[in-house]
Amino acid sequence: MGLVALGLLASGCGSGDGGSGGKTEIRYSWWGAQHRADLIKKTIALFEKKHPDIKVKADFQEYEDFWKKFNTQAAGGNPPDVFQNSHAFLRKYDKKNVLLDLKPQVEQGNLKTDDFRNGLEKAGEVDGKLLGIPVGANTFGLFYNTEEYKKAGVTPKDGWTWKDYYAGIEKISKGSGKLAGDSGNASVMYLYDLVLRQQDKAFFTEDGLGFSKADLKKWWADNLRRTKAGHFTSPKKVQQARPKPALSGKLSAGEFSWDNFLVRYTSETDASIDLAPIPTTDGKRTGQYLSSLMLSGSARTKHRAEVAKFIDFMVHDPEVGKIMGYDRGVLATEPQFEAYRPKGVDKEIADYEERVKDRIEPITPHPAGADIVEAAFLRIGDEVLIGSTSVDDGVDKFFSEAETALGS
Amino acid sequence: MTRTRAVRSIAWHLGALALLAVLLYPVVWVIGSSLKPNEEIVGSLQLLPPDPILDNYRRLADGIAGISVSTFFVNSLVLALGSVAGVVLSASLAAYAFARIRFTGRNALFTVMIGTLLLPYHVLIIPQYIMFQKAGFINTYVPLLLGKYLAVDAFFVFLIVQFMRGLPRELDEAARLDGCGHPRIYWNITLPLCRPALITSAIFTFIWAWNDFMGPLLYLNEPEKYPVSLGLKMFIDQDSIQDYGGMIAMSLVALLPVLLFFLVFQRYLVEGAATSGLKG
Repeated sequence: MGLVALGLLASGCGSGDGGSGGKTEIRYSWWGAQHRADLIKKTIALFEKKHPDIKVKADFQEYEDFWKKFNTQAAGGNPPDVFQNSHAFLRKYDKKNVLLDLKPQVEQGNLKTDDFRNGLEKAGEVDGKLLGIPVGANTFGLFYNTEEYKKAGVTPKDGWTWKDYYAGIEKISKGSGKLAGDSGNASVMYLYDLVLRQQDKAFFTEDGLGFSKADLKKWWADNLRRTKAGHFTSPKKVQQARPKPALSGKLSAGEFSWDNFLVRYTSETDASIDLAPIPTTDGKRTGQYLSSLMLSGSARTKHRAEVAKFIDFMVHDPEVGKIMGYDRGVLATEPQFEAYRPKGVDKEIADYEERVKDRIEPITPHPAGADIVEAAFLRIGDEVLIGSTSVDDGVDKFFSEAETALGS
Repeated sequence: MTRTRAVRSIAWHLGALALLAVLLYPVVWVIGSSLKPNEEIVGSLQLLPPDPILDNYRRLADGIAGISVSTFFVNSLVLALGSVAGVVLSASLAAYAFARIRFTGRNALFTVMIGTLLLPYHVLIIPQYIMFQKAGFINTYVPLLLGKYLAVDAFFVFLIVQFMRGLPRELDEAARLDGCGHPRIYWNITLPLCRPALITSAIFTFIWAWNDFMGPLLYLNEPEKYPVSLGLKMFIDQDSIQDYGGMIAMSLVALLPVLLFFLVFQRYLVEGAATSGLKG
């Protein structure tokens, strides 16, 4: 009896695969919420209209669930044909032979790598392979509450130094007495990376960490001192406000993050938030680079040419640019960048990237295991700030975890 | 004498009320938040909104990413009711064999079945995925339901076995004298008597299937086939605009079927667990 019922269910829902009428079907997955899904679905419809022989099946999840599903599918030999990827994961998945090398597709003319802004086409090149094509790019910035800065008489300037910045933070924290000057940066890996780059180092090298224990001790001790002095928001309050960032939760007057987060910050608070330049060490270098969300293909796909054509369309077609806007970062190619006329928040992000254009440096791909290192940095950095771990113990713990993850 | 009793009673009630307040706080928070505008939900300290709005619920009517909310509910219902039917039928059938039929290797098999309870789910994920992928069942409900029809849920088999062992054998014997074979005894005698245990299994299966997230996440590749548990997550993502209001409103709506199912069957729940020898 049970088997009969199952048979019914199976025939009722089991018409999953098998393209109709000689159509090629490719699966496309990304992470994002429904807003992004609405946009992407429009671009897929556009693609299918121009390529009637290819059908695209779309699927999306929230960030963490996306990777859970992706990892299981990749291990089970059934990853999506095309998927959204990040620069940070290229080496990780290349090491597991999951990513399709797109170089042959470029040579066969299915995929063009010209017209990218700021040399972005290089961002997907790792160890001689082309593993991802950027769809949009973002750089780090300082978000600040303009009213609080004004009240304290602090004006962020191009080429200002950390000394200027911290003096300003102190002024803000003492002035109004309500908001701390900064949300605290001990565990923000990407900011520490910039600080290191300003000193001719970097967070990651090709296969390991690019800084010493003494460097990190200095960074965390410095952060701890400023937190205790009240210049940074109390880490307990920051954690209570999560998932809302401290800046939009009105706990601090400033916070460092990726410039596309302006969309999120402004939607979450009525305070006026703007972007400011990253402080420097020598008055010139900010260490900034463009990081991007990418489209990658699966090494297992049976439809390499179609995958390449799909990626090509998604990054070059001006109509797609108009629809997507800056949802996945400032558009990566000139035709799309030109086609989209940013308004409101998007305009502010575009202006900011235009302003820091000359400071942009080339990006270095992360080694495999970098995501685990980032998670450890976040966790241990928070522990140090809250005081459950001392700076020295925290640094030792971080280095031992990082070395295990990076497998050196 | 009566005085101390009154004091004790008041203290007991106050204590119970305090506990109730703690338990109900999250529920009140969710209801309150579902009536707040998005930017006030996270970080606002007010439990109830000063001026409640229904926008979050109205947005649900428009659907998520082009899929109407009712699609998710229908999918969830198909999965949950499909699971209930499967578990009740297959687990009771397996339990009947373990409880009433003497066959070689029965005890060994019973032990193995109990042993599967100790196997962590995460160990099975990838092998199971590969198996269903090779069989071509990805993006169908088969991987989510097949096991339910093959008595894979050892917990329920065990529950029903314990219950059946408590039923008087004389009934079986009387039926046999009247010429019944095992199928008739199972269907006409044992199954009706097992109702409390079956209902307990049905309630748990319904709730677990309704709330299951990992299974549908891994096996379904089209949002049109997603159940509510996956649909809920479509409202948020870390690097775009978050719609907590929509998510909270939908989670409240998603709670209703489970709550209803529970309310209707709850009186059998205690009976089922208490009489199956599981009370410790």
